This record gives sequence, structure tokens and C-alpha cells, in this order.
Amino acid sequence: MKIELLLAGFCLAAGLPASAQILDPALLTKPATDAWPTYHGDYSGRRFSTLTQINQSNVKHLTLAWIFRVKTGLTPNAIVGGEGPEPQNPPTNPGTWTIKATPLMVNGILYFCTPDNAYAVDARSGHELWHFAWKSKGGDHIGNRGMGMYGSWLFFETPDNYLVSLDAQTGKERWHKQIADLKQEYFSTVAPIVVGNHVLAGVSGDSLDVPGFLEAHDPETGDVQWKWWSEPLKQGDPGWDSWPDEYAMRHGGGMTWIPGTYDPSLHLYYLGTGNPNPVLTGRSRKGDNLYTCSIVALNVDTGKLAWYFQPSPHDTHDWDAAQTPVLIDAEIDGKPRKLLGQANRNGYFFLLDRTNGKNVLTAPMIRSMNWSKGIAPNGQPIPDPAKEATIEGVLVSPQTSGATNWPPPSYDPQTGFFYVGTAQEYSMFYLTDTDPHPEGWGAAERDAGHLGGDLEAIDIKTGKIAWDHHFPFTGGAVGILTTAGKLLFTGDGAQHLVAFDPANGDILWHAGLADDLSNGPETYMLDGRQYLVAGAGDSLYAFVLEP
Amino acid sequence: MNCSGIARTLIAVCLAGTAGVMCQTPTDPVKGPPPKPDPASVERGKATFVGACGFCHGASAKGGEKGPDLLRSVVVLDDENGNTIGPVILRGRPDKGMPRFPFTPQQIADVAAFLHDSIKNAIERDNYKILNIVTGDAKAGEAYFNGAGRCSSCHSVGGDLKGIGARYEPVTLQGKFLQPNYTWTEGTPPHTVFAITVTVTLSSGESFTGALVSYDDFNVALRDASGAYHSFTRVNGNPQVEIHNKLQAHVDLLSRYTDADIHNLTAYLVTLK
Repeated sequence: MKIELLLAGFCLAAGLPASAQILDPALLTKPATDAWPTYHGDYSGRRFSTLTQINQSNVKHLTLAWIFRVKTGLTPNAIVGGEGPEPQNPPTNPGTWTIKATPLMVNGILYFCTPDNAYAVDARSGHELWHFAWKSKGGDHIGNRGMGMYGSWLFFETPDNYLVSLDAQTGKERWHKQIADLKQEYFSTVAPIVVGNHVLAGVSGDSLDVPGFLEAHDPETGDVQWKWWSEPLKQGDPGWDSWPDEYAMRHGGGMTWIPGTYDPSLHLYYLGTGNPNPVLTGRSRKGDNLYTCSIVALNVDTGKLAWYFQPSPHDTHDWDAAQTPVLIDAEIDGKPRKLLGQANRNGYFFLLDRTNGKNVLTAPMIRSMNWSKGIAPNGQPIPDPAKEATIEGVLVSPQTSGATNWPPPSYDPQTGFFYVGTAQEYSMFYLTDTDPHPEGWGAAERDAGHLGGDLEAIDIKTGKIAWDHHFPFTGGAVGILTTAGKLLFTGDGAQHLVAFDPANGDILWHAGLADDLSNGPETYMLDGRQYLVAGAGDSLYAFVLEP
Repeated sequence: MNCSGIARTLIAVCLAGTAGVMCQTPTDPVKGPPPKPDPASVERGKATFVGACGFCHGASAKGGEKGPDLLRSVVVLDDENGNTIGPVILRGRPDKGMPRFPFTPQQIADVAAFLHDSIKNAIERDNYKILNIVTGDAKAGEAYFNGAGRCSSCHSVGGDLKGIGARYEPVTLQGKFLQPNYTWTEGTPPHTVFAITVTVTLSSGESFTGALVSYDDFNVALRDASGAYHSFTRVNGNPQVEIHNKLQAHVDLLSRYTDADIHNLTAYLVTLK
């Protein structure tokens, strides 16, 4: 792609120094080919690549190009930042080296992070260019989904709630801004998404009863441009009548765990919000608890809510709606529609009209699901109150971890299928906090059984499962990539990277890795070669066709 | 909470001899386990709190008629060893009707320890104490055991289940019938039994049977009765693989139980002392 001409104009406009590391913002609005410039590759979240060099006819000739294994902590060459104490020992939590990020790939360089660590790696060779290590004050190191990029500046979040900006060329810190209070049990995992001159940063954490929010930051200064609370803060705010009182809504959860998607023509940012608090009991928060467990559309310049749809009204099972809201353009009943599909943690697939949030269809994804009394006319499932935690316990499927979870699904416009990894599992839910004002989770969960998992292809026009591939002992939520080469790449939970035929689920290729796939696979073109890159545990693996 | 379901390999879990893996946040060495408040200090703090503060803030500090919930208070969350709580106690909040309390430094430290301990108890959901779950009808549980549940087709209350109600806490006992361990010891001399076994038959007709070690679309592995390990590559459905789960009846029950069945069966099994 010829981007140099575009770059000149962009650099002048943004007042940035010209350098090889600059991201052309035009790349963000079209399907990625020689770049992967944002978490999902493009704003749609469909994770479908138009590349065809690797295709069904030659996928058996994929071969390993390189492996990059992360070294975490204050390594000898690390550029060090952060306000926490000097660590006495190397990290021992696997969370700090498990790659959940989808690396950005811009002008031949991969950028990604794990909790407290950021890396630049040569996308051709797998050689490290720099490593940035963060001295942490704490926070849950459960995972980090990656970076956002604006010009030559990178942005990522840390478990101790800083938004950090680095210079992409050197890895040196530009600034860091605290976005939430660690002592209130907030922590941060999300990959910032850059839209125009907005760096969209979310927060995580539901151990205590604190409210969630999304902030837009200025990429140059880090200053907050707007802040959207995922709940009303006082009577009269939108959604306030879905809570019993101000006290409940101000402590109602709704974290912004996962990167959203964006439609430039509608100027709307789509986000799935977290579960309400207290998590597993709803006695102190009667009502639907807006805008928790919701898919929301926000005006990206103002943070104002345009519409919402709530997949789990009054959730009491930790089924946040923080799964990718995938933007789909397709014909329904012969008419072209702007749609949004989400495979939700609660066990249903939802298809919405993304101009107004109206439900097009709701369809179950797993057979074991037992918490819903059916589907309301507006497309919302109707929770069965009998499946809310009791002292003596109730058996519920899915478990809190859900029918699926944060790993990115994929939509393939060539098949019209939405692909997602699901799990069929049961848990007992026991109410443990009988106070009228329970705190934290308020109930305990105990694993009660597994029926395995499936890779599913959902026909978006009917909601029917077109094909599924059953994993009797593994399966579950997993990152997925589809390509115009008629290939679907994902993991099998048994340490293989697998290529399926997206039309029928036939297995076409696989490679054994040293760990399970832990991120969303990606693909890009460099020097006329198509690369397939996947993260598994502490390593990135790159594959190309045999020359 | 956000976690992935993919990292569970049931077979590995089974062979390790434990029940399934919950999707939980591991203890975080970066954060470290929160410092455990001195239990004696917590107890003293609780007594002081209930006597002096409970009237307004509630005995559990979750808020009362006049005073706010202190377990969600940013002042309390920010506090370290009484450094932000202390000044409020000593000066009061006259504008909000809270009087001054002339506590000693030890009393302040104790009250802080009590509040932080209460917050920690709310945060650490893995340590929540499950209450009395034995509320079912033991008679109905017995009928289910011998009838719809078909438990008696494999188990006997005078045999393998004799005294089981005395061996386990009710929650553990319930977990054992919902999802039993996938290995156990039985027989004379005692030997380990693996619930999931596999028979692999080669095109030559030769076959191997043993405990399933791993199984996916590309490989299958087993350990036979002599302890020898065998693994096979799977290509286009060859070799032939047959998996048998001795505990399949327990898996099948998951979609058939009512919650009352579970409660009644638990109540019945608890009586088998």
C-alpha cells in the first residue's frame, strides 16, 4: 500500500515528527491488509481479513517463521516506568506473561503488552526492538488486551490503573495518567481504542461495589475529554428508574473491560458493559440495573448515549456483556442492513440494528442453558428468579465464566456466519451474604460439571447453528480469525492452532504449540508474504507459506 | 469478572484427581495477599465499633439509620492503619451530626483493623462461608435415590455409600454427587480406578485399552493396566477411538435435576451416618 503521500499530510496536520513508526489513521477505517492498526484489525470487530495468499489450497504448506517469547519484569534492557516499588524478584504470576493482547502491526513492527510490560517486535523476524516494564502498585494482573496507536504514539493500561503513552520508535514514556483508584479495587485490562483524536480507556474490577466508566483522553496530553458512567449517578439521570435508589446505582458495577467497535458513518462507538454489583445477588438492586450487562452506542465526540440494548436485565450470574459487539453489513429479508452481532456470555446470540439498537433476533447458543424463561418481544431474555443464588443453592448453566467470554469471535461476510467458542458448564450458586445490603459478590459458586465446548458457526440471518465442532474435554471461549482465503484460524484448547473450513467446519491444518491459544490470531502482508500470528501463553508464533 | 473458559483440560484435571477447575483469579504475587489483620485487634475493634459506632453505622458497619455504609467508604478504603479513619473519629463530623470520639491510638487501630477485615471478607469471594444447605426433604431424597435419579443402580447405601454422611461436610457431599472425582481407589489390594477409559483399535485389529491421558482431534494417549503409556496420531478418523466414562450417569443428571432434587438428595445422603 502507498501510504507515504497520506502520511505527509497527516504529520503536518497532527504536528508530529515524520518517522517510520507512524500510523496512518486512514488504515483504521478499512480492512487491514499490510497492517493491523487497532485491537480488532479494523473498527468493525469482525476479525475477517481480505487476504487470500494463504488459502484452502495451500494452507497445508504453512511453516513456522519465528517464535517470540516474552521476558517480563525489570529485564536488563527494559525501559522502566511506573510509580510502584522496585520489585525484589521476577514476576511469578502467569498473568504477567500470558499474551491476551492482539498485537498492533504498523509498518513492519508489532506492538503489544502483557500486564506491566510492553513490547515492540520486528514483524518479519520476531526480534525485540524494545521492552518497557512498569513498576506496579498492585491490581489484578489477570490480563491485558493490548494497545492503541495514534500517529507515532502508543497507549496502554496497567493493572494499577494508569493510562500510559509511549513513543513507538523508542519505547520511551511520554506520560502516564491515573484513571481509577486501586484502593477501590479497580484494575485495568482493556486495549485503548483510538478514534479520531480520542483515546478510549475503560476500567475493570468487581470485587467491591464501585461504578464503571469509559473515558476519552486527548492523545497528546492525556487529559480527559469526556467520561461516560455506565450507570446513572442520581435520580433523574437516564436509566435511574431501573435501580431502587441512588445508593444502589452508585455502587452498581458495570465495568468497561473490553475494547469496543466503531461505525465511522454513524459516528457511534459500541461497547459491551460489565455485570452489576453486588455480583451474584440482586436483593439490594431491584430493577433492570441499566446500563450494566448492556450493549451501548455512544457518540464518540461527546460520550453521550445514543441507544442501548440489555442482553441480561438484572443479571445475578456475572454474565457481563463485555463481548465484542461485531459490526455486520448484510441483507435481512432482501434489504441491506447495518447490524451488530454479539455472542453473549449469558448463552444467547443477539443481532441488533446498529442504527437504533432494535433487536433483529435472539437465539440460544448452548443447550445446557437453564436460567431463562424465554425471550421477551423486545428480544431480551427473561431471567427466571428461581435461578438466583439461594442459601441451599441452585444449579445454573452457564457458569459465571459464561457460555463464552472476552476472546474475540469473528464474522465472515463470505459465509454469513458468526463464529464463537462456547462452553456448556454448570455451577451451584449459594447465597452467603444475607444482609439486606450484601457486598462484593454476596454468594459463592461451586463447579458442578462440564459438557465440553464447541466451535460454532451461527447463521446470522436465522440464528441457527450452521455447524459446530465439539470438543468433549476442552472448548470454550477462544479467539478466532477468518480470511478471504476461506480459512478460519483458532485454538482447540489442546495446544493446537487449527485452520477450519469456515463453510462446514472441516479441519484443514493444525500446528502444535507450547500452550493454548491465548489471544485473537491476526494476519498481515509484509514484503509480499502473508503472515499468520497467534499468541499462546508467553509466546507469539508467526507462520508463513513455505517459499 | 472476566476469564476464559478455554484453559480447562478436563482430562488433566481428572487425572490429577481433583474436581473441575473454577475460573478464578489466582492469588496475585504482584499485589500479594492483603496483609492479614491481627485477629485479636479485629475482635477488639469489633467490640469497640459495635459499642460506640454501631448505633449509627450498623453493627456490621454496612450503614444504619443515621450513618453511612463504612465498607464502601472511600475514606475507609484509602485508610492505612487508621491514618484517614483516625482524624474522623477524633474530630467527628459535626456538619453531618457525627460526634467526636476520644479513642486511644490503639482503639483507632483496632477499629481500622475491624473495618479492613470486613472489607477483605467481602472481596475474597473464594473464602465466602456457605451457610446451611441441608434444607431438603430426606424422604423425597431417598425416593429420588431409588427412583428417578437411578442412583441405586450403581450405588448402595449399605455398601459403597455406608457412612458417607459422616465423612463429608454437606457442601462437599453435594459436590461429590454433582461432579465426582474422576479417579478413586477401590478393591483389595487397593488400586486406582480411572473413570474415563479409552480403547484404540488400529487398522491391523490390534487394540489398546487404558486410562485416557489426552484426547483431541489429532492425538489420543492412554496408560494401560501395566502402567505403559501409548499415544497415537489421529488421521481421518483412524485409528478407531472409543471413550467410556464410568461417571456418564452423573454428567447426564445435570440436565435432569431440579433444584429440589439436589436439595432432597443432599438431605438424604447427610442422614447416612
